Amino acid sequence: MKHFLERHRNILDFTVSSLLRRKAKNLALIVVYTFVVFLVASVVFLVSAIRREAALVLAKAPEIVVQRLVAGRHDYIPLDYADSIKEIKGVQNVKGRLWGYYFDPTTSANYTLMVSENPAIPSGSIIVGRGVARGLLAKENGAIPFKTYDGSYVFLKIKEILDADLEIVSSDLILLCEGDFKRIFRTLDGLATDLVLEVRNHRELTTIATKITQLFPDTRPVLRDEILRTYDAVFDWRGGLCIVVLSGAILGFIILVWDKATGLSAEEKREIGILKGIGWETSDILLTKFWEGAVISLSSFFLGVILAYAHVFMSGFVLFEPAIKGWSVLYPRFSLTPAFGFYQVSTLFFLTVVPYTLTTIIPSWRAATIDPDMVMRS
Amino acid sequence: MIELHAVRKVFNAGRSNEFVALDGISVGIESARVTVLKGPSGSGKTTLLSLLGCMARPTSGRILFQGREITSLPERFLTEIRRRSFGFIFQQFHLIKGVTVLENVMFPAYPLGIAHRVLKQKAEGLLEMFGIGAKAQSRVEWLSGGESQRVAIARALINDPEVIIADEPTAHLDSKLSKELMEFVRQMRSDGKTILVASHDPIVFEADVVDRVIEMRDGQIRDRG
Repeated sequence: MKHFLERHRNILDFTVSSLLRRKAKNLALIVVYTFVVFLVASVVFLVSAIRREAALVLAKAPEIVVQRLVAGRHDYIPLDYADSIKEIKGVQNVKGRLWGYYFDPTTSANYTLMVSENPAIPSGSIIVGRGVARGLLAKENGAIPFKTYDGSYVFLKIKEILDADLEIVSSDLILLCEGDFKRIFRTLDGLATDLVLEVRNHRELTTIATKITQLFPDTRPVLRDEILRTYDAVFDWRGGLCIVVLSGAILGFIILVWDKATGLSAEEKREIGILKGIGWETSDILLTKFWEGAVISLSSFFLGVILAYAHVFMSGFVLFEPAIKGWSVLYPRFSLTPAFGFYQVSTLFFLTVVPYTLTTIIPSWRAATIDPDMVMRS
Repeated sequence: MIELHAVRKVFNAGRSNEFVALDGISVGIESARVTVLKGPSGSGKTTLLSLLGCMARPTSGRILFQGREITSLPERFLTEIRRRSFGFIFQQFHLIKGVTVLENVMFPAYPLGIAHRVLKQKAEGLLEMFGIGAKAQSRVEWLSGGESQRVAIARALINDPEVIIADEPTAHLDSKLSKELMEFVRQMRSDGKTILVASHDPIVFEADVVDRVIEMRDGQIRDRG
């Protein structure tokens, strides 16, 4: 055992001195490698944390939303649909919601306007998301003008700004009372944008949804789980898009690894020849090269992951903000809670460390299997 | 100590560029003596040294080291014999650049699993013995030809081998350094080492320390000495 450990220690000594001998080359390799790990890890961490965040927020969302479709498009739904839906067994409560989009030409941003009953908002007042307040440089008690359906303007006073905790989904949100909503959009009485349902038993959701479609074939019930799946898909897609954009950097890295994989420098080959000549076995040389690859890839991996962690969870992921948070002008500002597990880190590890270590072993193995007498002939 | 029976070494066998480097060599090398393989370039000296030093296997024939047949041993065992029983001094010394003299001397012993501290002491002792102890921490590329030669000899001795093999060791040395090298050979011989040198330098094969000169030409032995 002692012999085994000493042998490893000696070979590690050689590895370290070998790495230091090619300081510039190895340092350049670590910089590029770290950068690639940093980029990929940032996307992975970000997508995973945002999905978790969205899931947490949506946990409070209604279990079923019923929309009415006219000619395949979302239309207002009569409130008397609610009375019939309430009769379905298992439905605890049905409420109509009024909401819509408002384009503000001064900031070129779209806001989501929604009628709120809880908290109740007095006429002439609004509660706004942080993105809206930032975009309009507005503070509490400031007034915001809204252009109504007939071209006139209504000024609504900011009563409150929503909590930062909710910013991921409420950045562009404006809550107001029904009267003000109708003044802006001219919505007819007895109509709602959609209906939200509370259901007693979570397992009955699908059955209730089916019953609603049977009762009102012109409606579309949307389950909370479906929204979650859509969020997942959207963030996965955005994450994928980021990876595609970053593929230039990744391609550069592959070329670098390929270069390393297809050959050793003449100096490295000479060294391997000498070592074989003075009595090193092929396995000793492979062990050295394995450690070299492992030192470079592991240090780059950890460095890249740590930098990505700092980037995503401490610096507010400045590099990918526009791509991941939305295409809107109102980027939500929030700090993410670290949410990644063994799966994400091990995927990153297998995508970066393993291929690199393997590709560096192949040329070394080729060089290490040369006959030791080659050193006598060079 | 080492016996060769009808040894033949062919490079690129079966191809258009087939080359017979050694053709039916049968010779015995005595222990604790200095044997020189003499002959012009291409005579097969280096190839013969490689076979004697377990660096390569013959195409046909048998090699016995200390009475044990080694011709058909797998690479691992051959390497084990090579690093424990043979020390090599190469034509261009082949020191590893960018590392210290001390490390270069220690390298052949690294895979043996000897404690680093013990190994370091041994290497320092050898460097002192050859008068270059002060250069232990210098990088090898800063050494003169004579100093490099001494480092190469110290490296060959680190595993305390029974046989020292030197291929054209004076090829890159002036007459003074070549004579100095022969003095080191004398010292090693008096320590009981078997020394095998390939050279066509008269300073080597005419030196009084040499016990036997084997003359080679065209892959065959012309004079057994």
